[in-house]
Amino acid sequence: MKFRCEREQLVEALGTAGRAVSSRGGSLPVLAGLRLELAGNQLTVTGSDLDLTISAQIEVAGDADGVAVIPSKLVADVVRAMEPGAVQVTVAEGDAEIAAGRSDFTLRTIPAEEFPQIAGAEGDAVTLDAEQFADALKQVVPAASSDDSRPILTGVLLAAEPAGLRLVATDSYRLAVRDLPGTTVLDEGQQVLVPSRALSELARLLSAGGAVTLRLGEREASFDVDGVVLTTRLIEGDFPNYRGLIPESHPNSLTINRSELLDAVRRVRLLAQESTPVRLSMSPDGLELIAMTQDVGQAHEALDAAYDGDELTVAFNPDYLLNGIDVSAGDEIRLETVDALKPAVLRTVGDDDFLYLLMPVRVS
Amino acid sequence: MRLVIARCQVDYDGRLTAHLPMALRLIMVKADGCVAVHADGGAYKPLNWMNAPNRLVEESGRWTVTSPKGEQLVITIAEIISDTGHDLGVDPGLQKDGVEAHLQELLAATPTTIADDLTLVRREFPTDIGPVDLLCRDGDGRAVAIEIKRRGEIDGVEQLTRYLEFLNRDAALRPVRGVFVAQEIKPQAKVLAGQRDIDWVVVDYDELRGMPSNELRLF
Repeated sequence: MKFRCEREQLVEALGTAGRAVSSRGGSLPVLAGLRLELAGNQLTVTGSDLDLTISAQIEVAGDADGVAVIPSKLVADVVRAMEPGAVQVTVAEGDAEIAAGRSDFTLRTIPAEEFPQIAGAEGDAVTLDAEQFADALKQVVPAASSDDSRPILTGVLLAAEPAGLRLVATDSYRLAVRDLPGTTVLDEGQQVLVPSRALSELARLLSAGGAVTLRLGEREASFDVDGVVLTTRLIEGDFPNYRGLIPESHPNSLTINRSELLDAVRRVRLLAQESTPVRLSMSPDGLELIAMTQDVGQAHEALDAAYDGDELTVAFNPDYLLNGIDVSAGDEIRLETVDALKPAVLRTVGDDDFLYLLMPVRVS
Repeated sequence: MRLVIARCQVDYDGRLTAHLPMALRLIMVKADGCVAVHADGGAYKPLNWMNAPNRLVEESGRWTVTSPKGEQLVITIAEIISDTGHDLGVDPGLQKDGVEAHLQELLAATPTTIADDLTLVRREFPTDIGPVDLLCRDGDGRAVAIEIKRRGEIDGVEQLTRYLEFLNRDAALRPVRGVFVAQEIKPQAKVLAGQRDIDWVVVDYDELRGMPSNELRLF
């Protein structure tokens, strides 16, 4: 295999595909490498940890077709360290020579035949608006759990609803639900559970805008974004019945400017250390935020807000509260509560497409 | 510890001058020579005080406390309400809570909290640079070194890395993998652990000791 290309192009392809390579190693040492396949002028760089596979395609000046697997981190570091300009890669007899300017590196390759064949999803292609989908992922993915002991909760549910596509994630402390009206990806009643890690990586790829093409197979999903294909295994199992968790009515409702609340929680959170919560004291006079950490200090901040309901103090995990406020859209948000121990709902005023359900923290 | 409740006026002359008008106050004279004047409010901070070493001269209606630097606290006493002394003995010092030690004890009893297939070999397993909190074996019989912290920061990952380096020199143990366990783990520590092939696990202290968590769950 032999090709030439611009350093920046190769750095980007290696970096993108390298995000699927596990840093922890695993049962297959070959997965610590990136698979480079050259066919004509098309170079495909693939990284995988078997659950997530990312392939990035770039145009290069191809000289001799071939396939090689090169240690992921090392090749990325070497190419990134080269002088800007053209880079030439030549693979022969188990060595990959990477040359640019007066620099010349030789890296041992990993036998390419050991790299597993990873099939992409074969379902029908559906094209989604990348910006809208990225926006939905940004709102929902953070609410998924990172605790591998409950794999179901590490996924984001994609479900067909009568009005369109729904994305749902929960880590059991909070729940994020986002509707994409008019988006038809799944068959009626169909739902799939996509690992949140894959969707986080997808969100990175979508930041450039454009369109994303989705293919759903029985066990995997593929997302094609501007020459990069991300394939992920789907999570098997039943997602919790989240509908029953959303209270039907809330006697208390606080309406407040979103950015003012966001800034205030960020400030007050500085004194919510060692897993202590932030208290929201709500009354017709407005909202007071309180955080206190024993032996450290306390913070108070008063905010103007419209409140309808009984005077109530509810405490929340500051990170979860902040995330909910941060990912909500719009200038004004509404916090709906029942009491200090029941789930609260955060919504954007005038927008029913996103809902963030948040469990309080019990305080004395 | 001498405790005097007295109607008094206090004048301090040192880095600045301060005056407390005549009022009822508590004067504490500690065994080491500290003198502190308290009002009936505030958690711990005296209205005025002089750190040890000091020289206290008591005259009728007037106490003069002088520090080696020449600072002077003059307490003019109009009336003494109470004057008592108590020997408090040697103070055992502030004992910080034993969360980390207790976490180690709890996890040693149930290492499966960290991973399903772990069995304990020994607590405080010795290495040349100090003991690692737990040494376990996994389901395949491989050694697993576990470092436990209350707050998981980069320092803890570095510490475990050093233990692993020494443990992996032992032919009877290697390969030894590491697991970093804490009540909360900072993102930087997670990244560093990932780069070093060290797993990390967040544990709930309250749950481990059977106390209901304040963090309520949706389900």
